[in-house]
Amino acid sequence: MFVIVVGGGKVGYFLARELIGAGHEVALMERDRARAVQITEEIGSIVIPQDGCEGKYLGQAGANRADIVAAVTGDDEDNLVICQMAKHHFDVPRTIARVNNPKNESLFKHLGVDEIVSPTRMILGSIEADIPVHELLHLAVLGGGELELVEAQLRIGSPAVGVTAGSLNLPDGCSIFAIIRDDRAMSVRSETELQEGDKVIGIGRTECEAELHRILLGDTDSQD
Amino acid sequence: MPEAIPPVFRRAVIALSGGAVDETVVRLALEFGRASRAELIAIHVVELNWTQPLDADVAERSEEAQRVLDAAEGVAEAMHGKLEAVLVQARDVGAAIVDEAAARDADLLILGLPYRTRFGGDFAIGRAVPYALKNAPCAVWVVREPMGEEPQ
Repeated sequence: MFVIVVGGGKVGYFLARELIGAGHEVALMERDRARAVQITEEIGSIVIPQDGCEGKYLGQAGANRADIVAAVTGDDEDNLVICQMAKHHFDVPRTIARVNNPKNESLFKHLGVDEIVSPTRMILGSIEADIPVHELLHLAVLGGGELELVEAQLRIGSPAVGVTAGSLNLPDGCSIFAIIRDDRAMSVRSETELQEGDKVIGIGRTECEAELHRILLGDTDSQD
Repeated sequence: MPEAIPPVFRRAVIALSGGAVDETVVRLALEFGRASRAELIAIHVVELNWTQPLDADVAERSEEAQRVLDAAEGVAEAMHGKLEAVLVQARDVGAAIVDEAAARDADLLILGLPYRTRFGGDFAIGRAVPYALKNAPCAVWVVREPMGEEPQ
């Protein structure tokens, strides 16, 4: 598989190294000449010392025959431009972008980036999982970023406590399907009554997160 | 005065650039390798840009590449020597030459260097020679062609 990695920072460097180790053909684009030379000396002559944001240079890197373009620079705007150009100008089958600001995730999805990877979101998820906050925990991103698997721990005062699952007015495209109660998993039926301390596992479109939060845990502002 | 002892090598990789200096390089390798019956591998690298895969059928179809190899073989034949001519496709000439020398376990790499100057008159050594000098695991000989006549 031929992969173009744009951005020769830590992520791009190690990504390229792993891909080469796995037997893939890799071209790494890094616009900083000194950094490009350094990577060439360490990995070999796979570095194109040009700016991947420019179509001309992306073309020179072989975007016309690339299977994947991975934009992993530290700049969201650059990553978006790179992926869009790869997708629409060179018909690259798969584009992957690093998104640093989680607020940009929906924009990336909307503009057709095939896959987004948000280190910020991942670290946030890990922190949330370790801290007993009464927020929605992000357990996983599914469906290429369209859906999120979340967990909500109900507490005293949560609007969903004492309510049956069937009577929750969940937003379209959202569903709760499991409860962890007393460290035991149970499936959710329409008549299942939610209790204080329940961890409710649900899945839904990312844009429904705020509404799901309101229904299960209450308005964000009213927490704590 | 004692007679000069020719350096001994058992396997040398000769880099062919396609220029006039190739003949000198091949002759030199044959002369010095004769005493030790050294194995000589002449390599010509066709550099491919990234728009083509490395296994694209380019070098074999290139008349120029074939001419370079034929010329080297012709020199060897005229000197009653033997030479293995190899055509390689790569992204970078210097790296390909050094890789070949390492893969063949050569104890000598010989490169020709045309005498070229940049605009302004500075000598231009190119990229392959410095790369080989820095990275080749074996000994490296660089044969620079004579300076051309000064333009009038």
